[in-house]
Amino acid sequence: MSPGETARPVRPRPRLRTLAITTGLIAFTVFAGNEVGFDASTSWEMWTNPLWGMFWPIPWDWVLDRSNVLDPLVETFQIAILASLIGCGLALPISFAMSRLTTPNRPTYLVCRSVMNVVRAVPDLFWAKLLVTAVGIGAFAGTWALSIFSLAVMVKLFSETVDNADPRPLEAARASGSRHLPAVRTGVLPTVLPEYVAYALYVFELNIRASIVLGLVGAGGIGRVIEAQRQFFRFDRVLGILLLVFVIVLIIEQFSVALRKRLV
Amino acid sequence: MTTTRTPAMAPRPSPPTGVARRRILLALLLVIGAAWSLTGLDITLARVLGAPSDAWVIFRQLWPPDIDKALDRGVVGKVFESVYIAWVGTIIGAVISLPLAFLAATNVAPRWIRIPVRQMFNAIRAVPELIVAVIFIPITGLGPWAGTLAIGLHSVGTLGKWATEAIEGIDTGPVEAVEATGGRWVSGMRWGVLPQIMPIVASFWLFRFEINVRASAVLGMIGAGGVGAELVSQLMFRNFGTVGAVLGITVLVVLTIDTLSAAVRRRIIAGVARTSGPDTDGDRNAEALRDLTGLRR
Repeated sequence: MSPGETARPVRPRPRLRTLAITTGLIAFTVFAGNEVGFDASTSWEMWTNPLWGMFWPIPWDWVLDRSNVLDPLVETFQIAILASLIGCGLALPISFAMSRLTTPNRPTYLVCRSVMNVVRAVPDLFWAKLLVTAVGIGAFAGTWALSIFSLAVMVKLFSETVDNADPRPLEAARASGSRHLPAVRTGVLPTVLPEYVAYALYVFELNIRASIVLGLVGAGGIGRVIEAQRQFFRFDRVLGILLLVFVIVLIIEQFSVALRKRLV
Repeated sequence: MTTTRTPAMAPRPSPPTGVARRRILLALLLVIGAAWSLTGLDITLARVLGAPSDAWVIFRQLWPPDIDKALDRGVVGKVFESVYIAWVGTIIGAVISLPLAFLAATNVAPRWIRIPVRQMFNAIRAVPELIVAVIFIPITGLGPWAGTLAIGLHSVGTLGKWATEAIEGIDTGPVEAVEATGGRWVSGMRWGVLPQIMPIVASFWLFRFEINVRASAVLGMIGAGGVGAELVSQLMFRNFGTVGAVLGITVLVVLTIDTLSAAVRRRIIAGVARTSGPDTDGDRNAEALRDLTGLRR
């Protein structure tokens, strides 16, 4: 090789560990694919399945009928509104109790934190199903379930905000001899309130979406109608409901997102 | 010691105007919303007061969990079925979303393709997995494959969006270098972009897998495979001890996977000198929560 020329660097050989991990992942994927019933030969046939014809044409006069769809849809939004109000309302004091900065004492902090962690580990629809069993089928159970779940979500998000709040106003309030509650009320609350409202709106958006599927497990709202029509094999109606729901949900969300952007 | 008064004490500043009016308006809005919802939902005081004790009767019976019965019924296998659904679903989502993300990123894709691909990601994200599963079940029949497809399709939305953001955060130097040597667009993406984004994208995949494990547990409730079906049937037969065991095993497996996956993700990210994208800082759980219902803005 002549002096001015540089050789192309040697391509590093794959390490044994890399090979082992790759092989392991591929093997696991193949195994899992087999377990879930993946079949390369039939997976393309499903797109040309004649059953797709059952989704069409959409019976719009049935979908837009008041008692069929619109009333349960209103119920869905009522569940979401009420659950957001209850969940976010309760979240305000609990978040303060489970933030290191504003907790009244250590036992309260630990109890709140661990209870909320357990509540959040259970998916929202599991809560809905449990509460349907406990208090009966219908919107009441759904409101409960969503309230609990939005409380858990809100507490998680908002207590972090409180953790990161500026501690100096709180110290000032304490230094002037304030008791705990007034100190938190005047020292921390005003600084975190905008984020609280933003998170509350965010939780409201989550609830709107969650409330649509609640009815699939018997907890009221539009999901009840979807479930019923699904069992009658009226997939054209199901598709019509879904299209309608998503247009409305997107509109509500645009409002909420715009409002949140103005707040933060 | 005597306290001295400041001679010229400034008067207390007057509150900003319009605040009170806005507060009243907001309060009024909330009260009206609550009242309207209450009347529509047939919620009476008697039911509200009775509910906690009704719920307690059930929740009390979840303990002690009937582990033996649960193991007999193969609950562990069902939980793992949920994990397989989540894994294959995540891989489907990853394989579809990665190429599309290149078409959606502002810095590498032309405008005419970017906008439709982005809108497609947004539309997919707006539809929950459960709804996708409701649509797929009549075609594929009940079972895990419907759930897998639902999870895979739904994951395309979020994974695509995250990968797009990762691509938009790259250093464009390597891409220019490839173009300078006469490489085509595809070569620029393969050798200039992909090596930069792969660590962060891989960690997004893992993160999405964690979310998908939770989602697939729920999918079973409508018959799309996994542990949810077991929960529903045990609740129907009112075997609350078994229900407690099912919940316990599910939560245990979910939390274990979260911990393992988070450790791997930290390893992957620690290897990247310059990290980009939304997931590298901030709390993992909060991120997971923001995404539980597929909403992330």
